[in-house]
Amino acid sequence: MEYKIMLVEDDASIAKLISSHIEKYGYKPTIVSDFDRILDVFIEEKPHLVLLDINLPKYDGFYWCRKIRQVSNVPIIMISARDSEMDQVMGIESGADDYITKPFYYDVVIAKIKSQLRRCYGAYVPGVSEERKIELEGLTLYPERPELHFNNNFTVLTKKEAVLAETLMRMSPRAVSRDVLMEKLWDDQVFIEENTLNVNVARLRKKFQEIGVDDALETVRGYGYRLNVTWRKY
Amino acid sequence: MKIFLYDHISFVLLYLFNMLFLFIFYRNLGGFETLENVYYFIFLSSFLLGVFLLYRYFSNKRLYNKLNKMPFKLEDTLSSAGTTPISEGINRLLKTQYNLYQEQIQLYKLKQAEHLTFINQWVHQMKTPISVIHLILQENEGEPYVEKVRQELERISRGLNMALNMARLTSFEHDFAVETVLLHSIVTEVINEQKRYFIRKRVYPEVRIDSNVTVKSDKKWLKFIVEQLLVNAIKYTEGENKKVIVSACDSEKGKVLEVKDRGVGIPKQDIRRVFEPFYTGENGRKFGESTGMGLYLVSEVCKKLGHRIEIESKPGEGTSVRIIFSG
Repeated sequence: MEYKIMLVEDDASIAKLISSHIEKYGYKPTIVSDFDRILDVFIEEKPHLVLLDINLPKYDGFYWCRKIRQVSNVPIIMISARDSEMDQVMGIESGADDYITKPFYYDVVIAKIKSQLRRCYGAYVPGVSEERKIELEGLTLYPERPELHFNNNFTVLTKKEAVLAETLMRMSPRAVSRDVLMEKLWDDQVFIEENTLNVNVARLRKKFQEIGVDDALETVRGYGYRLNVTWRKY
Repeated sequence: MKIFLYDHISFVLLYLFNMLFLFIFYRNLGGFETLENVYYFIFLSSFLLGVFLLYRYFSNKRLYNKLNKMPFKLEDTLSSAGTTPISEGINRLLKTQYNLYQEQIQLYKLKQAEHLTFINQWVHQMKTPISVIHLILQENEGEPYVEKVRQELERISRGLNMALNMARLTSFEHDFAVETVLLHSIVTEVINEQKRYFIRKRVYPEVRIDSNVTVKSDKKWLKFIVEQLLVNAIKYTEGENKKVIVSACDSEKGKVLEVKDRGVGIPKQDIRRVFEPFYTGENGRKFGESTGMGLYLVSEVCKKLGHRIEIESKPGEGTSVRIIFSG
């Protein structure tokens, strides 16, 4: 089933970027362009979820949120540049289900959309019901287990190794800078050091070898690392 | 009393002079019959003078009191100076002046409020193009320019937040609520927000705060303080693999939060002026990216929250800033 998502955002470029991104994830976006008729559009379109900006011409997002709540219980996620606690509280009190502050990450928006849809309509969104996996020329990573499979061999990774492997596999054949890798490894509680990256790369190299992938993880001096496809599926 | 005496010295002098003159004049005309008459004359004159002075003093007593005690508030000038003609004149003058002054103040207040609204709206408007660039960058992840653009974007964001906080500071009274906050969670929150900056400069945070330490402060402003201190610590650290240590301890003065870096330190001649607005000093000139507002804002916020701030630095060895939460 295709979920319809209504997008109320007065900045055209942001609206376009979000809508094209959520389209990639299999949702059907509707951009509202007439900000006087948000409620009418909502009633006509019957979306499954609303992304609502707060700063709108004439009436603000809080107003429209209350208006929508009078006719529907559809999940509403607010997106706003206002980051004060007061605005977030007001957003939730106006009936919104979640709040995202600008600037935001696509992944966060998608994750929140998914969770709201799941909560509201029960069904899992397409693609999520299956286990996530990343494939590269016969090398398969299951980040949730986390395991790395090649031919008929497999090896169990640690969480950090899996994060590294995922980033490198996604970016291959491009090199990934140390900064980006360290950012991915950064843990909210235990902050990592330069050495953490070196250690994890060394461990990952060993695990690659275990399953028969040799010399794939190349060091790019002064920049970072690159995963070269040196293996062949047979 | 002093003002009264100074004010009437000319009267008294005139009177004395007049009496002396009359004496001489009268003696030349025929003189006094007896010495007693002389005394009587002097007594009568000084009695009249005394009565006159007393009358003057008591009728204008309120005016003199008012002139003696300088006002603490603008409203104090409005208290009545009495009902004699001169007092009423002064009352009128002060009242008119007060009103004119109020009018001007109101005008500036209005302008200030307008400016504040403008800055608020402007900053939020500027956040929209930042969000757009942020999204475009995410779609081009992996391209070599992305990281560089992102760095510049972060600088713009930091600048905008600074402007917003500067504007908010003027209306601070309506914008803070003191509560019990967990120091550890605030510090880690700020560190995680700044993780790119840490990684890029290869500086590593170390938190030495027990997870249950609490202080009485405003969460939002405390976050602002910690953010400024951390950003400074990262900015002025040169060379790789150095640490920024954030720690908390108890002292007799209260709980202390310390941000300590192993950076370039602050030259002796600059350290006393780091809390002044727009003062950038030698490091500011060397490192460029300095507005001279960071520590000033931090000290202002500390003042308003009732926290104390101390700074200690050795050039070449590092700087440590301590926030002392009293009580």
